[in-house]
Amino acid sequence: MRRRQIYTGIAALAACGVIFVLPFMFIFITAAKTKQDAATLKFSWPAEWQLCQNFMEVVQTRNYMLLLAYFNSTVITVAAVTLLVLFGAMVGYVLQRRPSRWNAVIYGCVLAGLMIPPAVVPTIWVLQMLGLFKTLSGMVLIQLAYGLGFTVLLFRSFIATIPRDLDEAAIIDGAKPLQIFFRVILPLLKPVTVTVIVVQSIAIFNDFTNPLYYLPGRENVTVQLTLYNFQGQFQTQFNLLFMNILLVTIPPLIVFIFFNRQIVAGMTAGAVKG
Amino acid sequence: MTSVVLEKVRKSFGSLEVMKGVDLTVDAGEFCVFVGPSGCGKSTLLRIISGLETQTSGKVFIDSKDVTDAEPSKRGIAMVFQSYALYPHLTVAENIGFGLSLARRPKAEIAERVKQTADILQLSHLLDRKPKALSGGQRQRVAIGRAIVRNPKVFLFDEPLSNLDASLRSQMRIELTELHAKLGATMIYVTHDQVEAMTMADKIVVLNGGAIEQVGTPMALYNNPATPFVAGFIGSPKMNLFEAEIAAREGCRIYGIRPEHIVLSSTEGKWQGKVRHIERLGADTVIHLDVPELQVLVVRTDGDRQISVGETLFASPVNGKEHRFS
Amino acid sequence: MTTRKSAYPYWFVLPAAVVFTVLFLAPTIASFWFSLTRWDLFTTQFIGLENYRQFFREPFLIQGLVNTIIYAVLTSGTKTVLGLLLAVLLTSGLWGQGLLRTVIFFPVLVSTIGVGITFSVLMHPTRGLINVALAAIGVHGPGWLTDPALALYSIIFVDLWKGIGLATVIYIAGLASISPDYYEAARIDGATGRQMFFRVTVPLVRPATVTVVTLSLIGGLRSFDLVWAMTRGGPGFSSDVLASVIYKQYQAGFYGLSTAGNVILFLLIGLIVLPLTAWFNRKEVDL
Repeated sequence: MRRRQIYTGIAALAACGVIFVLPFMFIFITAAKTKQDAATLKFSWPAEWQLCQNFMEVVQTRNYMLLLAYFNSTVITVAAVTLLVLFGAMVGYVLQRRPSRWNAVIYGCVLAGLMIPPAVVPTIWVLQMLGLFKTLSGMVLIQLAYGLGFTVLLFRSFIATIPRDLDEAAIIDGAKPLQIFFRVILPLLKPVTVTVIVVQSIAIFNDFTNPLYYLPGRENVTVQLTLYNFQGQFQTQFNLLFMNILLVTIPPLIVFIFFNRQIVAGMTAGAVKG
Repeated sequence: MTSVVLEKVRKSFGSLEVMKGVDLTVDAGEFCVFVGPSGCGKSTLLRIISGLETQTSGKVFIDSKDVTDAEPSKRGIAMVFQSYALYPHLTVAENIGFGLSLARRPKAEIAERVKQTADILQLSHLLDRKPKALSGGQRQRVAIGRAIVRNPKVFLFDEPLSNLDASLRSQMRIELTELHAKLGATMIYVTHDQVEAMTMADKIVVLNGGAIEQVGTPMALYNNPATPFVAGFIGSPKMNLFEAEIAAREGCRIYGIRPEHIVLSSTEGKWQGKVRHIERLGADTVIHLDVPELQVLVVRTDGDRQISVGETLFASPVNGKEHRFS
Repeated sequence: MTTRKSAYPYWFVLPAAVVFTVLFLAPTIASFWFSLTRWDLFTTQFIGLENYRQFFREPFLIQGLVNTIIYAVLTSGTKTVLGLLLAVLLTSGLWGQGLLRTVIFFPVLVSTIGVGITFSVLMHPTRGLINVALAAIGVHGPGWLTDPALALYSIIFVDLWKGIGLATVIYIAGLASISPDYYEAARIDGATGRQMFFRVTVPLVRPATVTVVTLSLIGGLRSFDLVWAMTRGGPGFSSDVLASVIYKQYQAGFYGLSTAGNVILFLLIGLIVLPLTAWFNRKEVDL
């Protein structure tokens, strides 16, 4: 490795360290401080390590609200992602395999879904009419509707790489459409399914705006909403506030450590083809 | 033992007619080969018989039953694809037994029938492998096994040997012919390779531009081609075909003589020409002669004949082997 | 001709289509109607274009519109240029470039609220780390989020901090698809590094550029989480964007006005992104 590359590399790492890593370090050390220590907002080592106590205190706040929030967020994420994979794959499958005039309509809807900002108040109106406003199921369906565009796109382009011969062999073997889909196509979609699960899980877990509109109310907290609400509560307790931020950051971090490749692949899909 | 009958089968894609009214009978137990150049419609015809493609008009009968509107899985056919189309995520055993498991047959029955099929094709030691761990020839056999296990009335092969290298191809040709003898089933086989057609077929169907040019046994097609197209297609090297004045002199529209039916002499003959190009194949030698009135004449002769480029030679057609098309 | 059942039945699309239509298409279409009303979820009163007139009359609403455009253009422009430069840097064989890519990309995955809160604290006028560090070198740091003239731009900075990693990663993928043959040919032709960048890299990385510009424009125009977490649109309404205006009007009970804001946002996105995409597609470099 040439000298210049090493020096530039070290310089770049130092710069990136300051810009990108420092804020995370700040979060961590503030989350470990005592209340008074944290109030100074100084970038200093904790005088006293209170990581565990802060953790317990945050979890217990407002009757263990954080636990309820994690539960709700998990339920929404798991349910929405499952439906997204199932329905997204089915649409991507028909879109790719069956050339028809409807394809243009479906593509149009996909693009619309990616671009158009959801009309929030009319959506609340619709949810109310269906009795789904302020419910977890309503939230799941919203995430499903909003996430379909991207998911269909990913599945469609991956299914293009599965040879049609396999469908035909299955037809001759006597498979009905559902059987072809579940026993031949879906197993072969494993790589893109992992990508979809990972990318959409993070997006739905981190979603703040949609739960804010569609899931107001004490019983319906999600992890992001709780953090937002605790801002007021922890105004003088920065240690607890940052412990909360730390807790919110950990799930995506874990996913990132294990699925870095799939996340990047999912988010750059389309960048090369255009 | 089934026959396949096609009645006036037509196929159009929009305004493009790719199949122009085909009538054909394949007899029970026959090994019938559809052959022709790319785009002649042979694969389309096979797919229409299989039901994967729907004809625009006409009827298909398998075993005297009208299957024109039937689903592929209800026609009693099995197909071996050019790419084998093996399910990559399933083992060999699961691949072969896939159709049976779709039909919810009991596990014991599936295992038994898979084992029988694997024995016929010497695949028993590969049953737990996935397709990507198999060689080309082995994958071929698994594809055939998947077809056999269906106990079909008709086997359909869509250019199954195209993806294999030359030595493997000749070996598989023999295996397929022996399989046919063993099973005695009706087999329809599509290829663009006339060598496969000649060596394997009981009956050859030559297709061109969506229509049948000729149907017959290999030797019938070789000795008595009905059209110049068939004459030029069957036999390697290609038959010499001449039109215009040369043909007029011989009293027909198109005159043909096979390279192997020409005798060479250094002293006398019907045509005189200079050797322009020599291809030595070992057992044979193929010579391109520059003959003034014929332009180029291709002649096949013994491998050990002494010839050099630029030499002048005389060539004469063997009696009775000339072909005159009007 | 017989039509047999397809192996790819239309009803596969049905469940997705129902959910999408009911929860996305229908509200979007309905929004056009509701934006022309005074609405409080129980009564609707048709008032024509009054909501829109209000939007372009009230200073706090106009500010939101202007801010949105500034936000979108600045974030998109910076991400496009800086993202490409970073991508080139991070594919040049630096020591530790794998680690660098990870470090730059991770903020993309973190909760926006968490990032917003963290930077609000770091940007505290007196005790925040940024101003403390500046004071250490003798610079008096401004009120990043308390100064009305600065608030929006501070938020934009945080948006860039969080999002530059995604742009970079997309560009890295785009760069990887450029065959080294082109650079070798350029080298033989005697091109300098700068010429290679502008004549080879930039044109051939176009698909990635289109993706980055489009995604960041749409994201920037729709931005809400960061603004809401850091300033709630304040001080006053100096950092309001369309999305926060929509929410505030909703909170205040002016549903018709809020929905009008939605329609304006929709039209804004359409008016900016569609011509841009068309322009890009026409100039596509066919390889």
